Amino acid sequence: MTFSWKRVNAIFQKDFKDFSRNLAVSIVVFLPLILAAVYGRMGLDTIQAHFMNINMTFAMVGTYVQCCLIAEEKEKNTLRGLMLSPASTLEILGGKSLLSFVLTIVIAFFCAYLSEYRPANIAIIATAIVISSVFFIGLGTLLGLIAKSVMESSVIVLPVIAVFTMGSFVTVWIEKYPVLQIVEYLPNIQLIDLATKVESGAGFGDVISNLAIILIWTVVVYILTVVVYKKRMVD
Amino acid sequence: MFLYNRVKIERIGVFYMSMKFVLAEKQMNDAILFPEFNLTINESEIVSLCSNVNVREQLLFILLGKTNLSKGKIEFDSEQKLGFYFLREGEYERLTVKESLQFFHRIHQSDQSIEEVLQTVQLESKKNKRIKELSYSEKKRVQLAHILIQNPAIYIMEEPDQNLDIESKKIFINILKMLSSSQKTILILTGQVESALAYSDQIYRLDEKGLHPIQLEVETQNDSNKKTGNEHKDKIVQPIRFEKIPTKVNEKIVLFDPPEIDYIESIEGQTFLHNKGESFPCAFTLNDLEERLLPFGFFRCHRSYIVNLQKVREVITWTRNSYSLVLDDTEKSSIPLSKTKMTDLKGMLGLK
Repeated sequence: MTFSWKRVNAIFQKDFKDFSRNLAVSIVVFLPLILAAVYGRMGLDTIQAHFMNINMTFAMVGTYVQCCLIAEEKEKNTLRGLMLSPASTLEILGGKSLLSFVLTIVIAFFCAYLSEYRPANIAIIATAIVISSVFFIGLGTLLGLIAKSVMESSVIVLPVIAVFTMGSFVTVWIEKYPVLQIVEYLPNIQLIDLATKVESGAGFGDVISNLAIILIWTVVVYILTVVVYKKRMVD
Repeated sequence: MFLYNRVKIERIGVFYMSMKFVLAEKQMNDAILFPEFNLTINESEIVSLCSNVNVREQLLFILLGKTNLSKGKIEFDSEQKLGFYFLREGEYERLTVKESLQFFHRIHQSDQSIEEVLQTVQLESKKNKRIKELSYSEKKRVQLAHILIQNPAIYIMEEPDQNLDIESKKIFINILKMLSSSQKTILILTGQVESALAYSDQIYRLDEKGLHPIQLEVETQNDSNKKTGNEHKDKIVQPIRFEKIPTKVNEKIVLFDPPEIDYIESIEGQTFLHNKGESFPCAFTLNDLEERLLPFGFFRCHRSYIVNLQKVREVITWTRNSYSLVLDDTEKSSIPLSKTKMTDLKGMLGLK
């Protein structure tokens, strides 16, 4: 069976219509935006604050929306119909990921705009944001495969939101509790580290280690997703 | 133990669109669910398999490729995907009817016209309504529209008329006829003999004893003549005898007054009296009962049914050849009425 963009596009459009009418889920899109606007007005102009918004966008939009999109198909019993159609699993997940990806990038852009974040080197930040959103969408897919309903997905996504947005505060305690050093390797902390370096005039060569760590996270999440998918499908 | 050792669903050449069960057998937990049977469904044929829920579910799993047959195989054309019409199917409830059909149209890369399909399932006036605003029967019609858009050669339908309103049933019958005339192969899986009788020309019962055809009546003119003869005789001789009909419940014998009985049904040689939604096995054959009950306004409306005419509320004409009687009982039971009996009934009602 060949990969068809037409089918991916059909799923993308269907999910977009469905998503925009599902207020319970689509409302989360506005949360980071409101927060960003408030921060911008308050004059908070640290990298920490900007990236707290962007990381929240990743967790709320990338992970949660993707997770809900997949879990709802399972809950409403529509996934079987899709599976019996000519659309392959890759196309189904592709269409859904495309929607979450577009949403994440758009919201991240507006967050930066509203909180008046102007990166010194747009190319590096954009690359980092794209890789990160791919990671968070992968995470959402993984959780979506595990969750059985939208209700369940909003619960299991909570720790993700906690770890990947609040995580940036934890760095303060690292000196006191050395165990927390591991936190520095989280993709969101890496992203903040990268952005800080960029502000002080770093080029691609200086941030390659940060990008590599985020990329490793991404690869690991996708491998896990494939493993979970295969296991679930056998059941 | 499950016995999965060979690939049991075999997809064969493109020459014909039939579906063949060859020596298909399924065992589950060391018990036979259904023994070996052969069944060929040719194009343009509508075949009903009446079975219990377990058999039906397993058959669907096998056709979906989720489990395998214990023995034998199922053959059908490799080029065609099967079209499934499940009893429980989700819809994208936030989309409108039209959007949902457009989505299926794109995903199946179908060449069916959406407008025509909407017309066939008679949802044109509701095409811009969201699916969640529709009634259950209308949702089922949306589901039917999806499968029409998919346009497979072989249709597998699970309990297609369960809980449908009368309008939707009529639409469903018309669609079945349309599909059958466009050379589609249709397999209906149901637990209800009545619905099987209304929709298909070949009916089989599948259970642990095997596959048995359910006889469709082939009544001759003689038969009905004889019956009208009987009627006269009964009216004249009218013996003074005990007028209650005995049935057996556990070890007790329960007696029914004829007017209490809604209808009588015969399933595999055993007769059942139906009263207020409950059924009671009865020792007499349908013929005996018919003879005894004629004076009370009972009518043999079908080879396997006798109905209490006092309880009939509606006579529904599905097509020119298929009719149902709807009773005035709590469940609004519907009973098949055969073509030859329709004329008799009209006569009795003085409609001729």
